[in-house]
Amino acid sequence: MTTNNQEPNRIAEVVETTTTGFTAQCYELYGAPALGSLVRVGDPAVYAVVHNVTTAALDLGRRVMARGASEATEEAVYHNNPQISRLLATHIEALVVGHDVGDATKYRLPSSPPRIHGFVYCCDANEIAAFTDGLDYLHLLTSASTPAIDEVIAANLRLAAESHSDPDAFRIRAGKALAAELASDIARLNAILRGIS
Amino acid sequence: MALDLYQTAAQLDAATAHVGNRGDERARNMDIALATLRGADAATLNARVDAAQGTLAFLPAEAVEDPGVTHSPGPLPDDFTVLAVDGSHIDVNRHLPLRCSLINIGGCRLTYGAAPNAHMFSKPSLRTSDTDLYLADPASSASRQPVEGALMGLVRAVQEADALADAVEEAGSDLPTLALIDGTLVLWELGGDRYPAYVRSQLMGNGMLAALGRLRTMAQQRTVAAASYISLPNSSEVSNLLRLALCDYDPMGDCQRHCRAFIPGDRHCDAVNEFTDRDLFSRTLAPGERSALFASRSSVVRDSYGDHRVHFFYVNVEEEIGRVEVPAWVADSPELLELTHTLVVDNARRGDGYPVVLQEAHEQAVVTGADREAFAAMVERALEGQRLPVYTSQKQRSKRMRYV
Repeated sequence: MTTNNQEPNRIAEVVETTTTGFTAQCYELYGAPALGSLVRVGDPAVYAVVHNVTTAALDLGRRVMARGASEATEEAVYHNNPQISRLLATHIEALVVGHDVGDATKYRLPSSPPRIHGFVYCCDANEIAAFTDGLDYLHLLTSASTPAIDEVIAANLRLAAESHSDPDAFRIRAGKALAAELASDIARLNAILRGIS
Repeated sequence: MALDLYQTAAQLDAATAHVGNRGDERARNMDIALATLRGADAATLNARVDAAQGTLAFLPAEAVEDPGVTHSPGPLPDDFTVLAVDGSHIDVNRHLPLRCSLINIGGCRLTYGAAPNAHMFSKPSLRTSDTDLYLADPASSASRQPVEGALMGLVRAVQEADALADAVEEAGSDLPTLALIDGTLVLWELGGDRYPAYVRSQLMGNGMLAALGRLRTMAQQRTVAAASYISLPNSSEVSNLLRLALCDYDPMGDCQRHCRAFIPGDRHCDAVNEFTDRDLFSRTLAPGERSALFASRSSVVRDSYGDHRVHFFYVNVEEEIGRVEVPAWVADSPELLELTHTLVVDNARRGDGYPVVLQEAHEQAVVTGADREAFAAMVERALEGQRLPVYTSQKQRSKRMRYV
């Protein structure tokens, strides 16, 4: 596993890509951003929301074995088996929610997916505030069929609210946008709204 | 179905029933063998082997210590490094459209202690030139041996030893270091007259011994031990040595004269003959302990290894009895010998019975069946890319496109 010391926000690299999302391998073991985080990849930027994080053996043919029966702490397992951190990898899966076209951000799928080996960056507060200024991307999230997507949406909006100067105003605006998307599914809407507040 | 497993199972049942019937006799023989091992005296047995030189029908070890002694591992250093190298290869295949082979050397370096670290690498080398594909006689360009089959395995073994020396050099660590190779240090196939002298000289003097020499030079400046590890060893050199303790013919050990007409099982030495060294030491070594030290008396070691004469001991790594081979300069140094023993036991414990550093070196080196198919396809694509004719055998084609 390589590490990236040049750009602190660069956290992963695309290893699998489709029109609607991508999987990226994190440079650091357990170095995934929080669930629901906004990340960007490529130039012009493609934006995506992290909806799943996996840590497993790099070689899928090798099962991870329990090694801690005689160790006092979890940390000791890693300390006494230095190869482990080279044999495991953390991957993030992200749903594409928009992309840049010139100076504008479009809340729809790009004409082609991000490239393999594309560098994945965690968006900073300014980028998050700018991207979530528009909320049309919620349509792509609410229509996604990935597991626990409602939890992902709520997590994304909680994180986004922190990047806005008036988080409460953002939450109200986001709630209204969600209500428009989920007008026919009040139970689902309420579940997400409870997750935001 | 290609292999009839029903028929095979029936044959297996018959075979295992026969083994089971011999249980009592085997237990009696084991008692005799263990008593012989525990009472064996190194000087007496070595003298008997020397006296019987040339008349033995088997290869005994030389006992450096009394064969029955055991040693516990030493204290684990606070900080240390364990390195290993392993190799795999794709042999020349006449069904491929290009005459070529590939050697993949994989390695792993693990540092334990205050600043634990791991480094892994693999280095494939494609072999397509004449110097890769043939070992030539420097004195006559007409004489050359194709590097394939057993010779390919020997070339790979030499490259592994060389890569191990490189890895120790690159590590540049002052920590006590154990450098391990998977398998044996002995290039058995170079014994006898199977290969001409120029092949032996290139693989032995300029190959294995040069690599061991580099490791010894480094060991003179810092604490570096070199060894090889054999899992589930099948050798019987110690067991053969004990046969000399049971032989009561005069002259002793003249197998051709005294035992030519005996049926195996009726000879005086047969009580130990049916056991491998592993069988014996699995009964005498406690977890973590090693056996006495022995030296190889094989002709290839005697004739070629010089200062690197291969010594060996057996070790109980809890899950099995392993065999550790070391060159003479490790065997002669109590510090390096104890370090080898201690770190092999420790690393096997971390690896659930097999040194974890060898496991990881193997994972870096292994060439899977899928890799081999991908390699064959890459060769074809590369030739097509150069607009060169691609012809593969009909056999190769039929294997790829199985049809009914």
